[in-house]
Amino acid sequence: MSQTTVVVCSWGQKGEMLSDEVRESLTLARGLCESLGTSLRLLLLGGLETAAVEDAGAYGAANIDLIEDEKLEEFSPDIYLDALAQYFAARPPQLLLFPQTFEARSLVPCLAGRLGASIVMNTVALEACGDGFLATACGYGGDTRVVYECTAGAPYLFAINPNALDAQPAAQAHGVSVDTVAVDLSSSVERVRVLKRAEAAEGPRLEHAQTIVAGGRGLGVAANFRLVEELAEALGGMAGASRPIVDDGWATPAQQVGLTGKITKPALYVAAGISGASQHMVGCTAAKTLVAVNRDPDAAVFRYADFGIVGDCLELLPELTKAVAGQG
Amino acid sequence: MRIVVCAKEVLDPDAVNNYALEGRLVIGDDGKSLTQSTIPRLMNAYDEQSLECALRIRESGVDCSITVVSVGPGSPDMLKHCAGLGADEIVEIPVESEIDYHAVAAILAAYLRGGEVDLVLCGRQASDDDQGVVPALIAEALGMPLITIARKVEVEGNATIRVVRVTPDGDETVEVSGPAVVTISNELGEPRYPTMQAKMKARKRKPVVVSPAELSLDDSAIAAKVTMVKQFVPTVRGDCEFIEGTSPADKAQRLVTRLREENIL
Ligand SMILES: Cc1cc2nc3c(=O)[nH]c(=O)nc-3n(C[C@H](O)[C@H](O)[C@H](O)COP(=O)(O)OP(=O)(O)OC[C@H]3O[C@@H](n4cnc5c(N)ncnc54)[C@H](O)[C@@H]3O)c2cc1C
Ligand SMILES: Nc1ncnc2c1ncn2[C@@H]1O[C@H](COP(=O)(O)O)[C@@H](O)[C@H]1O
Repeated sequence: MSQTTVVVCSWGQKGEMLSDEVRESLTLARGLCESLGTSLRLLLLGGLETAAVEDAGAYGAANIDLIEDEKLEEFSPDIYLDALAQYFAARPPQLLLFPQTFEARSLVPCLAGRLGASIVMNTVALEACGDGFLATACGYGGDTRVVYECTAGAPYLFAINPNALDAQPAAQAHGVSVDTVAVDLSSSVERVRVLKRAEAAEGPRLEHAQTIVAGGRGLGVAANFRLVEELAEALGGMAGASRPIVDDGWATPAQQVGLTGKITKPALYVAAGISGASQHMVGCTAAKTLVAVNRDPDAAVFRYADFGIVGDCLELLPELTKAVAGQG
Repeated sequence: MRIVVCAKEVLDPDAVNNYALEGRLVIGDDGKSLTQSTIPRLMNAYDEQSLECALRIRESGVDCSITVVSVGPGSPDMLKHCAGLGADEIVEIPVESEIDYHAVAAILAAYLRGGEVDLVLCGRQASDDDQGVVPALIAEALGMPLITIARKVEVEGNATIRVVRVTPDGDETVEVSGPAVVTISNELGEPRYPTMQAKMKARKRKPVVVSPAELSLDDSAIAAKVTMVKQFVPTVRGDCEFIEGTSPADKAQRLVTRLREENIL
């Protein structure tokens, strides 16, 4: 294969460090670059803190392509799409990898459509193979893994699942050169008008929480979600939920863990009254320690758990809260 | 206005899940297909919700026709179910060989290009491949804006489409001038069931069959870009340490003690 350009693309990197998702994608892309004998570029839209440049080097990027424009300050699907299409026309990479954030879930397939590119979402592993690539993605909500052979020719786009792998800094940090790439977005128009923005809840986010206590339908009624919140509070963590109880309004969509909710990676995840359907578990199996409380000893959730208690979560949650608080 | 709902038939994800959890999900000799022949085929749940969304738009007083279209090996029962629910037109685009989602999108886009359409409703993702790319590929092919993960869709004056989206930060309300592609999420709520009477009547309904050849697509548009070469069932750990105890309080205390011993707490 001729020299392949591999680019990891992201936006909204406002901190001094790159986000975990970007680091994970860089880690995955770096492995690929090593096998292809090529160097790794990071494409950032919006802005970039100087400190983050060093971070990019630590994770193996040799170059940063930076696209700045006042229209890119907030995420805007049509404008971002135009910017990416222009970048692509100017310096077409063969491979573009995206951390699969909420925004990327819609943007990346649109970009694939615009570029006529091959695309695989939910990618958890990627390797070069002959003239193309083999991408492993989740199927059936995580019950299976599907290996897709991509050989149609460049460009290839892959969205990388959060927590697909552990972010690892490179053995040797790279010095990074930053190239500013000019785009002209003066005639770009956003077709989707935002009438009311979602108000980001203040404080920590579930996807970054170190401790999560999640409840499911086993709680019985809405009022019992309080038991989950109380244990979460005693542990200094956050409350999460399975989809059915979000659908029923016992918990908020922002608390939903799983395939179509948050993909979390806490140190401790406690699942109470949750059966362990794959679509839920993909959102929490990256937890370092998983504790399950379920009255059914055969519940699937125990197959994923480090520690399990068979019993009624309505009795056990308050006792756990007491025991954690040291009054047990 | 004309609303087109794109619907895919999939293997029942709950049944797949149950087999997987019992350790009985088996991949066939071809290395990629699920062998369980007892798993029923169902309408992708998000597509059921897309049809529900279309029906609610009609009930809100919008004068509209609703078409359901499906590309696949043939899904007459699913399409009859849609007719029973109130779809005015059911369309089947049969494909024989396995085609990838890029090709499915190209076929759907070609079908949509062939007629007037004001709103395309899709599911946020298909529960078999979980890709969620077909709606975006259709939108780009047709030059329509895409709005994803909707819990509510309203139409004003046949052209303005207002959507409440579910985002990680909460609900967002957006508006777009149609035609547009909107993907529907489960937050829309439970889809209805057809009445017995409507169901009986729909049994006689036959889908309009459109062959891909009629859509003047060239071969390159439906050539596979990504080909499934393998499917496997990942292993689940299964080494849970069960905490026993004489009472809930005792079990709770023992668990907390174990977690402290392991420096987890
Ligand atoms: C495409 C798709 C996407 C999906 N996305 C998601 C997602 O993002 N997140 C998600 O969570 N789900 C998702 N689902 C749904 C998922 O398949 C399951 O249906 C769901 O996770 C089940 O929720 P649950 O465990 O709370 O409820 P149930 O499956 O009903 O389980 C309840 C459990 O509680 C136990 N129980 C009952 N009473 C008690 C008690 N008193 N004490 C202790 N235990 C008790 C029962 O033994 C049972 O195991 C998705 C499904 C599909 C098809
Ligand atoms: N074969 C198909 N026929 C009709 N619609 C489809 C088909 N495949 C996908 N779709 C639509 O695209 C959505 C997302 O599918 P996917 O991109 O495969 O996850 C589905 O919910 C359907 O609305």
